[in-house]
This record gives sequence, C-alpha cells and structure tokens, in this order.
Amino acid sequence: MELYKTSFPVIAKYISRRGGSFDEAKDIFQDAVVLYYEKLVENKLNLQVNEQAYLLGIARHLWIRKYNLNSRNIDIDEAGQLTEQEEPLPLTHKLLDFLENAGQKCMDLLKAFYYDKLNMGEVAQQFGYSGERSATVQKYKCLEKVRDTVKQKALTYEDFLE
Amino acid sequence: MNEIKQIEDHLFNQADPQDTVLFEAKLILDSGLQENVTWQQKTYTLVKQYGRKKLKAELEAVHQQLFALKEHRSFAQKIRALFSR
Repeated sequence: MELYKTSFPVIAKYISRRGGSFDEAKDIFQDAVVLYYEKLVENKLNLQVNEQAYLLGIARHLWIRKYNLNSRNIDIDEAGQLTEQEEPLPLTHKLLDFLENAGQKCMDLLKAFYYDKLNMGEVAQQFGYSGERSATVQKYKCLEKVRDTVKQKALTYEDFLE
Repeated sequence: MNEIKQIEDHLFNQADPQDTVLFEAKLILDSGLQENVTWQQKTYTLVKQYGRKKLKAELEAVHQQLFALKEHRSFAQKIRALFSR
C-alpha cells in the first residue's frame, strides 16, 4: 500500500505526459512492481538505487517497448528481462487454474521457495513443518506431484507443447 | 525423489562436475529422463507464473482500495486529474 501510494503517482505522471491512459499507467506500474520484487528477492539490486527511481526506470522501458519507440536503445539484458514478462499462453492459464484448485497448498509451498525465495527454515515455519529437512522433503514431493499433473494435463491439451 | 533433486541440480547448475558428467550420460541413454527434465522445466515456469499471478492479485486489491475507498479519495482524484486533459 505504501509503495503504491508513493510510487504510482510518479509513474502515472510519466505515462500521462506521454499520452497514455489511466489503465495503461496501472498495468505498467503493476508490471514494474512485479519485476522490482523479483530483483529484490534475488538480491540483485544495487542498494544505492532508490525505489521510486528504479520503478520509474522499469516503467519507462515497459512503455517504450509497448510502443516500440526507440527500441534499439534498450540493452539486451533489460530486453531479455522484459520478454519473460510476456503473458502466459491461454493453455498455461488453464493449467494454472487447474493447479490452483487441485493443489493450492503445493503451489503455495513451491511459490514460497522458488518465487519468493524464502529459505527452507522460513518455508518450514510458514507452512508448519517441524524443520528444514521435512520441508525439503515436502518441496520435492510437491514438485513431483505438480510435474506429474503438468505432464498428464499437457497430453490432454495438445497445444501446450509449444 | 532422488531423480527430482538431480534434475533440479542439473537445471539450476548446482551439481558438482562429476555428477554433471554422469547425469549427462544418463540423459543420452534414458529418454524417460529427458522427458522428465522437460516437464520439470515447465513446472518451474508455471510456479513463476503462479507467483506473478498472486502478486498481481495483491496489487490489484491495493489498487481497488485506493481508488474505491473514501479515505483515499484525494489521492485518487489527484491521479485521475493527470488523465483528464
């Protein structure tokens, strides 16, 4: 909430000056926060960078990319980052919905470790396991379970294999 | 479970060099293992997309609060004014 209150105005101002709409500002801001969060949990951020300036930097790249202006100036690293931001394919959506319903606990556990980058001790605490070891065992069990589901479902949704 | 871990170490480059050689040899010989590597890769991608989906849902909830609740009215008006020209 704080981050939204302090940083959304900065990005909204930038996007409005370039002729973007409120909804475009919202989408770009939210995508920028996602990328910022991912860098943050991976400890890849230079601590001297100020949060707002960083978000504005990402937002600018996203805006430029959206309109394909000046695209030669985006460096490869940044461009690579942004391609990952591509929306999941429709069939991936289907699979995500399925996994959310059928195996939410596993998905949340896997998310905590692989996406939020919590360490095993933190995962164990958050999910009520007795220790790192049992949380690790559970993590691999979940990974296997989800992998098998993906495999099974993918065979029924043929197009999933890109 | 051992295989799952080996695949993970392989995909994340966490295996030591000796194990890497062994694993790569197995990969050539075992097409079932190759398939599992592919599915596991997909699984990590899905977990990432799941994480993004959840994070975006949280952001959207904050957005809705800021632009719908009375207590944030002046903030919302200030932002909307930027787009009214």
